[in-house]
Amino acid sequence: MDLVGLEIEKREDIVIAHVTGELDILGASSTGEAIGEAVPTSARALVVDLGRLEFIDSSGIAMLFSLARRLGGQRQALRVVAGSGEPVQRVLELVEFDRAAPIYETVDDAVGALSRD
Amino acid sequence: MRDLPELFHSPVKARSLAFLFCAGALMAGLTIALPHDASIDELGLGLTACAAALVGAGLLVSAERVAMWQLHVVMVIGTAMVALANEFAGVTALYPLLFTWPILYASYFLERRAAFAHVALAGLAYAIVLVIQDPPSPYVRWLLAIGTPAIAGALIFRLLDRLRAERVESLEREALLEQNEARTRIVLDSAPDAFVAIDREGVIRTWNAAAERLLGWSASEAVGRRLAEIAIPPELRAAHDERRRALLDPAERDATRVLQLELQRRDGSRFPAEARVSRVTLRSGVFAAGFLRDVSDRLRREAEREALLREQAARAEAERVAELVSGMQLLVDAALAHRTRRGILADLVTSVPGVLGADSAAIYLAEEGDRLVLGATSGGTPGGDGKAPLAFGEGFAGRVAAARQPMLAEDPDAMIGVPLLAGGQVTGVLVVCASPPRVFTSDDLSLLRLAADRVALAIDHARLYERELKIAETLQRSLLPEHLPHMPGLEVAARYLPAAAEAEVGGDWYDVLSIPGGAVGLVMGDIAGKGLGAASMVGRMRSALRAYVLEGHSAPLVVSQLNRLIWTEAQEGQMATLLFVVVDPAEGRMGWVNAGHPPPLLVTGNGRPRFLEGGGSVPLGVLPFPEFQETSLNVEPDATVVLYTDGLVERPGENIDLGLRRLAELVHAAPNDPQILCDQLLASLIPDGAPADDVALLALRTIPMSERFDVEFAPEPEALVAMRSLLRRWLRYAKAGEGELAEIITACGEAATNAIEHSGAGRDTTLELSGSLESRTVELTLRDHGAWRTPREGQPGRGIALMRGLMDEVDVTATPQGTTVRLSRTLH
Repeated sequence: MDLVGLEIEKREDIVIAHVTGELDILGASSTGEAIGEAVPTSARALVVDLGRLEFIDSSGIAMLFSLARRLGGQRQALRVVAGSGEPVQRVLELVEFDRAAPIYETVDDAVGALSRD
Repeated sequence: MRDLPELFHSPVKARSLAFLFCAGALMAGLTIALPHDASIDELGLGLTACAAALVGAGLLVSAERVAMWQLHVVMVIGTAMVALANEFAGVTALYPLLFTWPILYASYFLERRAAFAHVALAGLAYAIVLVIQDPPSPYVRWLLAIGTPAIAGALIFRLLDRLRAERVESLEREALLEQNEARTRIVLDSAPDAFVAIDREGVIRTWNAAAERLLGWSASEAVGRRLAEIAIPPELRAAHDERRRALLDPAERDATRVLQLELQRRDGSRFPAEARVSRVTLRSGVFAAGFLRDVSDRLRREAEREALLREQAARAEAERVAELVSGMQLLVDAALAHRTRRGILADLVTSVPGVLGADSAAIYLAEEGDRLVLGATSGGTPGGDGKAPLAFGEGFAGRVAAARQPMLAEDPDAMIGVPLLAGGQVTGVLVVCASPPRVFTSDDLSLLRLAADRVALAIDHARLYERELKIAETLQRSLLPEHLPHMPGLEVAARYLPAAAEAEVGGDWYDVLSIPGGAVGLVMGDIAGKGLGAASMVGRMRSALRAYVLEGHSAPLVVSQLNRLIWTEAQEGQMATLLFVVVDPAEGRMGWVNAGHPPPLLVTGNGRPRFLEGGGSVPLGVLPFPEFQETSLNVEPDATVVLYTDGLVERPGENIDLGLRRLAELVHAAPNDPQILCDQLLASLIPDGAPADDVALLALRTIPMSERFDVEFAPEPEALVAMRSLLRRWLRYAKAGEGELAEIITACGEAATNAIEHSGAGRDTTLELSGSLESRTVELTLRDHGAWRTPREGQPGRGIALMRGLMDEVDVTATPQGTTVRLSRTLH
């Protein structure tokens, strides 16, 4: 059993996926699929909230990259939220995830940025 | 020579003698009166005649009183007178003939010796007369006068002797007859049985005293009347007449009857009687004579005795049967105490032979396709011909199954086979066998059949029970963790025992889950109720709890949400106790929320166990919004926490505090290793393995950390969580900073993930992780037994990039036998 928790929130045309727990090879692909299904084509953007995620490894990163590719193909925006100084944020930095999608410190920051776009 | 009785009485003799004297006197008188020879002395003769007449008269007068000796004297006088008359009459007269008279008289009336004496006296007297008279040829005269009457006298005497003898015989016979008759009379009268004789017409001829008593008629009343009239009930009289005629028919050969009949007393009462009747033929006619006896007493006694015997026999039989039945009952009950078929069968085959006095027993169970397989045996496999499986009709057991009837056999051992029937189907066959001389009776058969009927039902129930139990157990198992997570640095063990008496799945449950961040959650719950309802609720709670935990909620919030779930979704009144313990070995802390559950038990090292009170609240489902609080405390390394359900500590009629105290004592005495601890607790508290209520037990121990560690993982993604947890704990122990800790764990996770993904399919292979801490430098070495996948462009390359980015040194050594990744980083 994986240790990933997922909550989907919708704010108008933005889908917010709150991912909690530990995201590793065990839960990465299923979580990615679940998030992908939660985003209708009508949605403008997806915010993946990793603010409360305890752990992420390369499998989780790969899942995020895969999401970014898919959403990019559908002209949907992807934003990622990671707490500043958190291990998750450090990993995202290391793999230079900000080249695939912008990283925000809070969900509100991410949503606010999307509204301004 | 015996004395013969006198034929004549003395008076007769006297009167006869008197007659002779008178006749002699008359003779002499006539001689004088009639013309006679001149030589006759008339005077002398006349005087003699007168004297004779006088004697005769005197005798006549005194005839009744004369004694025998007086008669002898008179006879001597008479002989003398005859001699005088001869003298007076002279030679020419025929007076010697008068000597004939005393001789004949003596011969006739006197006994032998007296007669001789008188004959001799007469001879002497005449001899004297002849000597005096001196006639010619005196000898001839003497011989004629004495010899002739003497011979005549002898003949007379002889005749009289004969007469006397006959007289004696007749007297004796008479006496005998008299005696006999008297005796018979006495016998008949004293006979206890009534004696009755009737003649051809049925008229009573004999009627003894017992008959008087028996029938109420005296002999004088009865004799002369018809028996039918006074003693035979009217409706039976025709039959009586018929019987009598048949018996008295001379052509009937069997002249004896023993009859059972009904008689009537004088007062009209009736009674059963037995008559032993014989046909008696006498000169006076043909009679039916017999004894009658009132047999009502005898019949009653016989009936009583028969009843008594019957009762005794019945009681003996009943006791024997009761003994057998109770034996059978006992063993059947004993067998039925088992809930599983195996238990029932094993118990039966071992106890049935004892009850029936048999040597061996076997139970065959019917399978699909009408085949019998051996279920259980003791002392051999009777009825099977050594074959298994048996087709119906094959072997003794097969024949019983085919016939669906109990069967007895002797070939040469005695065997009983009874079919086990349930729902009209042959579900098996019970065969009992005994060697000679033991022979089975139909009683044994019916008993075994009774037992078999009950057993068949029980076996069928057991079969259903086993199926239900299997379903329940499967369901239960599906609700309980299939296996506990392997957590290096932690030891965990769990046990679950379903209640012995319940086929239903219980409401006890437990879970062990990894909590994001390295903690371990221990859950012990008990949902009120049984069966599928409770089971499905357990399933929902388990899933919900895991989901809530993954969402990162605190323990009290997780429990609150579970309460919400039960409050809103469960059936009215359903409630549950729950204990949620979070152990964070890395932090050395333990927190718990207790919703009405027995408190967890904590033991550290060799210290005394203590129950963790506090953190308690009402059970789930009682209130809509109860307040749940977490209580936490620091735990030393080598701490063991024990969670359980009340089934472990509760005993009927006992205060639960006693059970808790007992548990604490046992935990204190047991080693801290969770597996051994759990086994010992169950062995002590549930010795038979069959608890009255469900029992769930969970123990977790934290193993102390040190500078070095060595663990093995299965190369599975699931192991990663445990590995991270261990690393977190160890790095905490190494006093790594938060950032360092996360980065080292991430790097090690990458190495492990890579190893898992590419270490080949070998299931038996392991990942070996070792860690060492030397002067602030952490070194982790991960070995696998697969081929290292050369980093290519793209995702996998990200892993190694991460490792390199996160660690000071990353060293990968790949060989055909496996790959070793060494990571090191110096802590600040």
